[in-house]
Amino acid sequence: MGEGWPVMGTVLVVGTTFGVVARQSGLQPLEIIAMSLLVFAGASQFAMVQLFSQATPAPIVIVSVFFINLRHLLMATSLRPQVGRLPLAGRLFAAFFLTDESFAMATGHFRRGGRSLAYYLTFAIALFVLWNLATIIGIVVGGAIGDPRRFGVDFAITATFIGIVVLAIRRPADVVIAIVAGLVAGALALAGASTIAVITAGAVAPLIAVFVRR
Amino acid sequence: MIWIAIVGSALATYLTRSLPFAVTLGGRLPPAATRYLEALPVAIIAALVGPAVVAPEGALTHGAEPVAAALVVAAVAWRRSLLAGVIAGVVAVALIRMA
Repeated sequence: MGEGWPVMGTVLVVGTTFGVVARQSGLQPLEIIAMSLLVFAGASQFAMVQLFSQATPAPIVIVSVFFINLRHLLMATSLRPQVGRLPLAGRLFAAFFLTDESFAMATGHFRRGGRSLAYYLTFAIALFVLWNLATIIGIVVGGAIGDPRRFGVDFAITATFIGIVVLAIRRPADVVIAIVAGLVAGALALAGASTIAVITAGAVAPLIAVFVRR
Repeated sequence: MIWIAIVGSALATYLTRSLPFAVTLGGRLPPAATRYLEALPVAIIAALVGPAVVAPEGALTHGAEPVAAALVVAAVAWRRSLLAGVIAGVVAVALIRMA
């Protein structure tokens, strides 16, 4: 479990950043806490803050979050054989805490020959607790900072997204997909179609992957 | 409106986490569908970046955001650290806007 410390440190920093940015965007503390408690997905929560700030209708927010989280289907499918030992209620409980980080740590554990589901559950739930504590710290800090634009804090979400994309690049096609998605969404927003910009660009750009051979 | 979006997003997120744990899928997805699903997260997140860099607050950028975005890419690629990128981007945007 000791190898989890760097991940926990990152979750603490990103969770605090989320609290700060969400508070700065004008969301109420209770709304921000509910997002971390109920949604518990970093990229989605940052995306929600940005979509809220553009007064995006709720159905579009929900569909955008669903698309961002479709990757969970792949991760959960990959963990399915290991959780098969649990009864249905246990599997439904374990599923709530599935994140990129807990998936990565659990996969590493199982690849090394580990069999213990307690490893996944302990780590995944620890991240949930940490994420929510960090959110509250961020809300307190965010309420104390003045105009966010003065310090460039409003750019923190965008910088976080860019970092996530850069770290997720696995092959050249990923670079092309990311650039196409960004440019199409930016062009649509400039053209006045900001409500559908993200979802359209996000759904169209991955078609490139369908036609590119590895 | 915000609460509907929060509860709806929570349900949508839980659905993606729990579906494969709840049911046993027979067979595999076609390779094209797998490739599409694998590319989807990066594309969505990149699509979120586009408007924020090109058209912050709905109008064409004055230049601070694209320059800072390039610095973030460089910082993250170099340090392999999200935090390094966020610090580089926030500091760059604050300095350029001040200039």
